[in-house]
Amino acid sequence: MHVGGEVDVRSAYCAASVASLTNILTPALFAGTAEWIARCQNWEGGIGGVPGMEAHGGYTFCGVAALVILKQEHLLNLRSLLHWVTGRQMRFEGGFQGRCNKLVDGCYSFWQAGLLPLLHRALHARGDPALSMANWMFDQLALQEYILLCCQCPAGGLLDKPGKSRDFYHTCYCLSGLAIAQHFGSGDLHNEVVLGIPENCLQATHPVYNIAPEKVARAVMHFLQYPVPSLDPA
Amino acid sequence: DEIGLIPCPEARYNRSPIVLVENKLGVESWCVKFLLPYVHNKLLLYRQRKQWLNKDELIDITCTLLLLNPDFTTAWNVRKELILSGTLNPLKDLHLGKLALTKFPKSPETWIHRRWVLQQLIQENSLPSLATKGNLGAAPVERIHRLVQEEMNVCSEAAGRYPSNYNAWSHRIWVLQHLAKLTVKVLLDELSSTKYWVSMHVSDHSGFHYRQFLLNSLIRRTVTDNNILVQNQMVNEQNPSLQKGEESAGTEAACAEEQSVDLPHRLDEEMELCTELIDNYPGHETLWCHSDETLNNSHHGPATSHMAQAMDVDGLNESSSKQGYTQETKRLKRAPVQDSLGPEMEYRFVDKVLSTCRDVDQARFATAYRKWLVTFLGQ
Repeated sequence: MHVGGEVDVRSAYCAASVASLTNILTPALFAGTAEWIARCQNWEGGIGGVPGMEAHGGYTFCGVAALVILKQEHLLNLRSLLHWVTGRQMRFEGGFQGRCNKLVDGCYSFWQAGLLPLLHRALHARGDPALSMANWMFDQLALQEYILLCCQCPAGGLLDKPGKSRDFYHTCYCLSGLAIAQHFGSGDLHNEVVLGIPENCLQATHPVYNIAPEKVARAVMHFLQYPVPSLDPA
Repeated sequence: DEIGLIPCPEARYNRSPIVLVENKLGVESWCVKFLLPYVHNKLLLYRQRKQWLNKDELIDITCTLLLLNPDFTTAWNVRKELILSGTLNPLKDLHLGKLALTKFPKSPETWIHRRWVLQQLIQENSLPSLATKGNLGAAPVERIHRLVQEEMNVCSEAAGRYPSNYNAWSHRIWVLQHLAKLTVKVLLDELSSTKYWVSMHVSDHSGFHYRQFLLNSLIRRTVTDNNILVQNQMVNEQNPSLQKGEESAGTEAACAEEQSVDLPHRLDEEMELCTELIDNYPGHETLWCHSDETLNNSHHGPATSHMAQAMDVDGLNESSSKQGYTQETKRLKRAPVQDSLGPEMEYRFVDKVLSTCRDVDQARFATAYRKWLVTFLGQ
């Protein structure tokens, strides 16, 4: 993550994210990365921080999103991943837990629920006939209920669960999760599912980069104007 | 051996806020808002080169800082510099980290720094001339063993202080991979020493995941050792006049020893443990997950994709000399006791749970398990 710091799947995502947006992504830069990420998938179906570690929502998102960027999602066992992530939505709370047998947390509204658009796209590319054309494979309304009813701080901002205090991190990821839950697909296939009044509807977010889809398009267009820098010193 | 904050919002008496009782260090909470900014500021001024601090002051200041806030990366990095310059004994940082973890069992920076220190120590180990710091004074192997044991203790304590402590358990795995090199002995030792702990923490998914890691490592280890044993056998058959080199004989001896890892038996034991815990503590998803995966490993053999079937190692002599060696023809011997652990037993167990349990979650897990048995085991 930084010089002398720890190595885990998050850094792969950060690197892939930045490199792809700024058009500096080369095969040499990510040689072996996709295979390493795939090794982080374990028997549970989810992905851990490093190979051998317990499956964890945050790391799983980073791993899958990085592989989507590198166009190597097929290296994963998508079926067991789907089984794992759908098992993480809590039947009582509606929100998601980060790992098996743990408590619900608002931020996993994005890390976990955000996997379903990625999986949907990957399975669609394989020509899976069973995929819905209107909904993600999780209970979108239940998640929205959890976020709106349990994760809002009366003074503004969002949080982990009732009783916790607000912070920017939870505000960001609760909102991101809410956006994912409200918007299926894009363009012709766009389907909005909004709990409560229409004003609850947020702008859609890009499921890989978690910024507005238009911003992703503009960034990519902008940096495509520049050549990919070479590694040789000038 | 432990630190803590004593809730004490006001300084009532004119005395030091430091309390030391039975080797446990307490700090009265009122002083933190004065102490922390003071030491924090001092360190930052030093880093900005506005105020010099000598080595002893640095050691003291960073120590205080880290006991109050161990996620302060800069303070750990100052100590890294002191260690690299030879002024600070790395073992001190292991002790400091251990203390910090008694109050902050998750602290990511503490665990990360700990791994850095351990890496320094093992590098030192490979250069015996530098081992004159006389830390443990014992032979390198002994030294590593003691380090590993200590790390297992630290992880165990931290895991007990915070449920499903991801950082503690991942550190534990890291130590086994990088310090203990995943020997069969250490894997078996860890299986037995964590058995009691997981029984006392039945919802701790990380704890059970650790056991899956141990079992999987054992499976992979047995496969590798069998490969080596088989390869040596083949080499000897094809070249009877070849003298066994010391190395291959050594490996064979090690393999022969490790052949005594009765894998099916271990997996059986694990299933027994799961069954017992599921019976005693209804409604814990972790136990059912663990049960799923252990049964999966028992039924299908090693979870590695290149292992297709099981076959007698003894019967290899004849076929191998004719066919040549391929992964696909390799098999592991299965003990007869394996047959008693079958899906049948699991069905009986699940049905028993379903008919006697009163816990809603337990019923749900049992039903899901039954569905899984049907789908994945196809029986």
